[in-house]
Amino acid sequence: MEPPNLYPVKLYVYDLSKGLARRLSPIMLGKQLEGIWHTSIVVHKDEFYFGVGGISSCPPGGTLLGPPDSVVDVGSTEVTEELFQEYLSSLRESLFRRESYNVFENNCNTFTNEVVQFLTGRKIPSYITDLPSEILSTPFGQALRTFLDPRIQPPEGSPVGPPNGQ
Amino acid sequence: AAAQGPASAPAEPKIIKVTVKTPKEKEEFAVPENSSVQQFKEAISKRFKSQTDQLVLIFAGKILKDQDTLIQHGIHDGLTVHLVIKSQNRPQGQSTQPSNAAGTNTTSASTPRSNSTSISTNSNPFGLGSLGGLAGLSSLGLSSTNFSELQNQMQQQLLSSPEMMIQIMENPFVQSMLSNPDLMRQLIMANPQMQQLIQRNPEISHLLNNPDIMRQTLEIARNPAMMQEMMRNQDLALSNLESIPGGYNALRRMYTDIQEPMLNAAQEQFGGNPFASVGSNSTSGEGTQPSRTENRDPLPNPWAPPQATQSSATTSTTTSSGSGSGSSSSSATGNTVAAANYVASIFSTPGMQSLLQQITENPQLIQNMLSAPYMRSMMQSLSQNPDLAAQMMLNSPVFTANPQLQEQMRPQLPAFLQQMQNPDTLSAMSNPRAMQALMQIQQGLQTLATEAPGLIPSFTPGVGVGVLGTAIGPVGPVTPIGPIGPIVPFTPIGPIGPIGPTGPAGPGSTGSGGPPGPTVSSSTPSETTSPTSESGPNQQFIQQMVQALAGASPPQLPNPEVRFQQ
Repeated sequence: MEPPNLYPVKLYVYDLSKGLARRLSPIMLGKQLEGIWHTSIVVHKDEFYFGVGGISSCPPGGTLLGPPDSVVDVGSTEVTEELFQEYLSSLRESLFRRESYNVFENNCNTFTNEVVQFLTGRKIPSYITDLPSEILSTPFGQALRTFLDPRIQPPEGSPVGPPNGQ
Repeated sequence: AAAQGPASAPAEPKIIKVTVKTPKEKEEFAVPENSSVQQFKEAISKRFKSQTDQLVLIFAGKILKDQDTLIQHGIHDGLTVHLVIKSQNRPQGQSTQPSNAAGTNTTSASTPRSNSTSISTNSNPFGLGSLGGLAGLSSLGLSSTNFSELQNQMQQQLLSSPEMMIQIMENPFVQSMLSNPDLMRQLIMANPQMQQLIQRNPEISHLLNNPDIMRQTLEIARNPAMMQEMMRNQDLALSNLESIPGGYNALRRMYTDIQEPMLNAAQEQFGGNPFASVGSNSTSGEGTQPSRTENRDPLPNPWAPPQATQSSATTSTTTSSGSGSGSSSSSATGNTVAAANYVASIFSTPGMQSLLQQITENPQLIQNMLSAPYMRSMMQSLSQNPDLAAQMMLNSPVFTANPQLQEQMRPQLPAFLQQMQNPDTLSAMSNPRAMQALMQIQQGLQTLATEAPGLIPSFTPGVGVGVLGTAIGPVGPVTPIGPIGPIVPFTPIGPIGPIGPTGPAGPGSTGSGGPPGPTVSSSTPSETTSPTSESGPNQQFIQQMVQALAGASPPQLPNPEVRFQQ
C-alpha cells in the first residue's frame, strides 16, 4: 500500500485589535490580554474560518485582515480535500450553522479548535480558547457581552452569571 | 498488515470505551482493545445506521484503514475518534454555500448546470444580453455569433440610461429572470473572464453561490434608489474602516485583489475600468462627467467609432456608485457591490457606435438578424396580435413621456407590422448602401425640420411628409423617438444610439413592432393618400423607408440644436 498523503495543517492567528488590546487591556479590563485572537485554519491551500456568514474559505491570507500575525503549525493530516469538504458540509448543518455564531461561545476559535482536532487530533493553543472566559471574568467584559451576545438581555445592575468557557 | 494476534494481546481483551464523534453527534462505543478498525466500523455502522464503506474514521490526523487495529493507532480508553459519514451523492447546495473549494470547482459545477436552463448562455457571453422578451429567444438559435454580440451590445448600450434601467426592470419578463438566482449565477459564470476572475479569487465564487447575496445583488440592480442607498452605506462603512489602523491598507488590498480585477474583467471588453479614474485620482475629461446628466457632446458622426458617449455612460454608473466604493467593509458586501457594479456595467458598455459601424460594414449581420427564426415568428405574432404590440411599444419609456405620440402610434402599429414582413423591406434593410442613403435623406429631412419647420408640413409630395411632418414635429424635441428608428431590427441597434430609451423596448419587450411602428406606419396613409411622384412598389417602399428614417434622427446630432432652439 502506498503511504497516504500527508497534508500540512496550519493555524493562522490574527490579532483583531492590531496591538490595541495589549496596550489597553490593563486599563479597560484590569488584566493583561495580549490580543483579541481570531483564528482560521489553513489546509489544502485554502483558509477556512467561521464567522457571522457561516463557514467560509478563501485563499490563505486572503481575508480582510490580511496576513496573519502568527502561524502555528499544528501538524499534518491524512484527510483528503474531498473528505474535508464533506466534513465541513456536515459541520455547516450542525454545530456551525451561520446563525449559530456566538461571539463568546461558538466563535471562530471554537470552529478552528474543532477542525484541528478532527484533522490532527490536537487542540489549538489554550491562550486562544481561553480568551472568552478571560474577558467575561471582568466587569467590562460582562458589560460588553450585553452588546455582543444576542441572547443576553441587558441586566439591571451588575453583571450576573458565571463567566462561560467556549 | 498489522499483526493482530492473541500473542500480543492479553488472553481476555480489555474493553475500552471510545468516543466516536461526527460533526453532528457523539457516541460512545465499548469495544475490545484489540479490535480491528473493520470490526469497529461494523459496530459503528449499526449505531449510525450507515454502511461500513461510508464510514471514514480519523484519529490524530490519520485515516484509519480497515485492516489496522485500534491499538496500532494508539486508540485507548477514553479517547475520541472522528468520523465522517460519506453520503452516496455528495451533499451540495444546502442552506448555505454548497462548496467553498477553489473557484474552479464551482465553475465547473455550475457550467454543466447551465445546460439545464432554458437559456443557452453560450450564445450570450455576457448573459444579461438577453433580457425580457428575448430571454427565451436566444435558445432558438442565432445564426451567427456576430449577431449575438450585436444583440448584447445593443441591449447593454440601451440600458445605460437609468430611467431605461428602471423600465426594463419593471418589465415582468426581466423581473422573473432576474429573480432567479441560479439563472443569474449561470449567466455570470458563463463569462470566461468571470471564470478567470473566479479562479483567481474564489471569494467571488462564494459570492455567486450564496443565494442571499445574489438576491440582494439583483434587488439592488433592480432598484437604483436602493443601489444609491447601498453605495452610500458602503461609503460610510468605508470611511469608518479607513480610520482603523491598518484598515486602509486592508481596504486597498481588497480593492486591488478583488474589485479591480472583477471590474476589469467586466469592463475589459467595454472600454476600461470605470473605477480606474477613481482609484488613481485622475480626472480625465470624459471620465468625470457628472452622473445622470446627458451627454451633451455633439457626436459629429453617428457612424464613427465609439466615442465619449459610452465612457460617459459608464461614468454615470461609476459616479453614481460613488467614488471609493470600490471596496467595502466586509468582503461579502464588497463583492456584492462588485457584482452589482458588474451587473450595471454589463448594461453600460460602449458599443452602440461600433454597433452601427458593424451594421454598415456587415450587411450579413442584418440579414442574419432579420432571418433569425425568432425574429420572424415574433413579428408574425406581433402582427397577429396588435394589442400586444401596442402594449409593448407603449411600454417603451419613450412614449410614457408623450401620450400624444402613443395615440398616434397605436393605430399605425398593425400596418407597420405588416410592413415589416414585407420581404422588400428586409432586403432593403440589409443593403448598407441603401441604408446609408436613407440615413442621408433622414439627416436632410432632420436638418430641414430644424431649419424650416414651417416648410415640412406642406412638403407632401413624394414623401408623404404630411403625416411625417406631425411625426417630425414632436420628434424634434422628443428626441427619444429618433432612436426608435425606422426599422424594427434597427430599433434596437442603430439609431437608438446612446439615447437608448427605446432600446430595451426594442429587444427587451417588443423586439419589433414597437418603436419603429409609428414612423414607418405613418407611411401607410401616405401610401394611400399622398400622391407619390414615383410609382411602383419599390418606390413606395423607398418612400416609406425615407419617412421612417426621417422620423428617426441621427443620434443626438440635431437634438441639442433642437432642444436649444426651444
